[in-house]
Amino acid sequence: MSVPDGQSFLVADGLRREFGGVWACDGATFGLRRGAITSLIGPNGAGKSTVVGIIGGAIAPSGGRVIFDGTDITPMPPHQRARIGLVRTYQLSSEFGRLTVLENLLVAAPGQRGERIRTLLYGKRSWRTQEGELLDQARTLLGRFAMSHMADEYAGNLSGGQKRLLEIMRALMCRPKMLLLDEPMAGVNPTLATAIEGYLAGLAAEGLTMLLVEHELGLVERLSETVIVMAQGRVIATGTMPELRARPEVLHAYLAG
Amino acid sequence: MNAAFSFYASTLLVYLGVDILAVWSLNLQYGVTGIYNFAWIMFQAVGAYTAGVLTLGPDTGNGGFQQYVLGLRLPEPLPVLLAGAVSGALALVVGIVALRRLRTDYQAMVMLVISVIAVLVVENVTKLFNGPAGLSLVPQPFGSLPLSALGYQWFYVGLTAAVCLIVYLFVHRVTSSPLGRALRATRDNEDAAQALGKNVVRLRLFVFVFGGAIAGISGAVLIEFIGAWSPGSWAYVETLVVLTAIIVGGTGNNAGVMLGALLVPVAFNEATRFIPQFGRPGLVDALQWIVIGGLALVFLWFWPRGIIPERRRRFPGGPAAVPAVPAPRPGEPA
Repeated sequence: MSVPDGQSFLVADGLRREFGGVWACDGATFGLRRGAITSLIGPNGAGKSTVVGIIGGAIAPSGGRVIFDGTDITPMPPHQRARIGLVRTYQLSSEFGRLTVLENLLVAAPGQRGERIRTLLYGKRSWRTQEGELLDQARTLLGRFAMSHMADEYAGNLSGGQKRLLEIMRALMCRPKMLLLDEPMAGVNPTLATAIEGYLAGLAAEGLTMLLVEHELGLVERLSETVIVMAQGRVIATGTMPELRARPEVLHAYLAG
Repeated sequence: MNAAFSFYASTLLVYLGVDILAVWSLNLQYGVTGIYNFAWIMFQAVGAYTAGVLTLGPDTGNGGFQQYVLGLRLPEPLPVLLAGAVSGALALVVGIVALRRLRTDYQAMVMLVISVIAVLVVENVTKLFNGPAGLSLVPQPFGSLPLSALGYQWFYVGLTAAVCLIVYLFVHRVTSSPLGRALRATRDNEDAAQALGKNVVRLRLFVFVFGGAIAGISGAVLIEFIGAWSPGSWAYVETLVVLTAIIVGGTGNNAGVMLGALLVPVAFNEATRFIPQFGRPGLVDALQWIVIGGLALVFLWFWPRGIIPERRRRFPGGPAAVPAVPAPRPGEPA
């Protein structure tokens, strides 16, 4: 179900964006079902990352609208989108390198009393309790992702795969309603990739809505029911993976690049 | 301790206090938040001038030998507090213009330019703060106390220490809280911090204003001690001395930068005072600048984390400690 309808949790409506005369994204329209993983695939340069950038708010569209949970969020800055539950991860590692793993998680939690400027006047007593709760949440998350032993390590010292895990955990600390995952497996060894796949399936089972940008089509098929194919800035096909394999325009887009 | 040495030592301690305020202020902006505030010295200067014109009294009273705006005679601690407020307000204005959209490297250039322009403005608009000659004969606070000259020196050391202590309480509250953590996250990856719901512009503006206010207070403490302030005191290169102190002491560590304040502006500047002059006049002073610049480069190259590096935050209730691996170098792609 990727044509936008009343059931869609997120609607991308005619997204357009030009970079130096090239339309990286040229009228992309789709809808994402609540509580499911939808994948976005397509050859390099198809405009997938631009779409994720526009939905996340980092890239301003030249045209079109983004509707999240019934609200038009097109003019909203990225930090406000995160606060209403739309959280993204990055294709390149984006850890806070000189913060520990645990701090990377703690900092992501929304609505922290200790982050308000008032903390200057009230000091630690205004945030100690909340910090304790967040610490418990973060440690639980670390346990779930088998990363407890790295809690006090600087995030900058993690391996590439561990950084990807950290990024997903950090996004979860944000209490998202929807995750935008931009190639979460890039540069991850096969063992860890299998683990990440399991975690994502688990999150989907818990009802988290996700948009997954991914090149590994086997993974896409296993994780997502609906797949959106982009090429040259447009959505050229949607459907299940077996359906798409049978369609000549999809094969052509991949082969012709 | 003979009187001459006692006088010298107390003067150095006041300078140390002022420099400690300076490094805390710039460290919040540069070390903790990653703002390249090359205009830092301007905020100290504005604080100094503010405190000056708020304590000197009307400029008609001194035979017109210096002219300046305002000319009030406010009781302490109002001039010091207002110096902080005015510098903070200026930081807000500069911050709103410079910190909102630009990338950090452009911000650095904008700051440098603002710093240079500000000196030219103050030098040429003589009515503001007496132009190139600067303000002088600024009265010392609580000057009516029955103290000997030496006694007053040590009294002022106490005042400076008290200001440092109060400022430290606020600085510590920021750096040790989730607010400080959000600032450090902003420093490490601005885009990711934003994607996690942090209002990066607001965080940066806050730290810019807060640091600016501390800079202003440090200027007030200094001018009320030495009694004079002129454009020669705040050339843009003075910011680099504070920056070097931070880099040497330990970027992002409040205690580390205190050590940096002791080593670079105080010990280094004082030690070179005892080097016999050689070459043409002014050569030793010029070499001093070169050595300070070199010191910053050497540390950035070999010890980028400084003498006392930013401390690793550990939380109670975790598994056994992990072996100590140093933090990735600042600026290194992690």
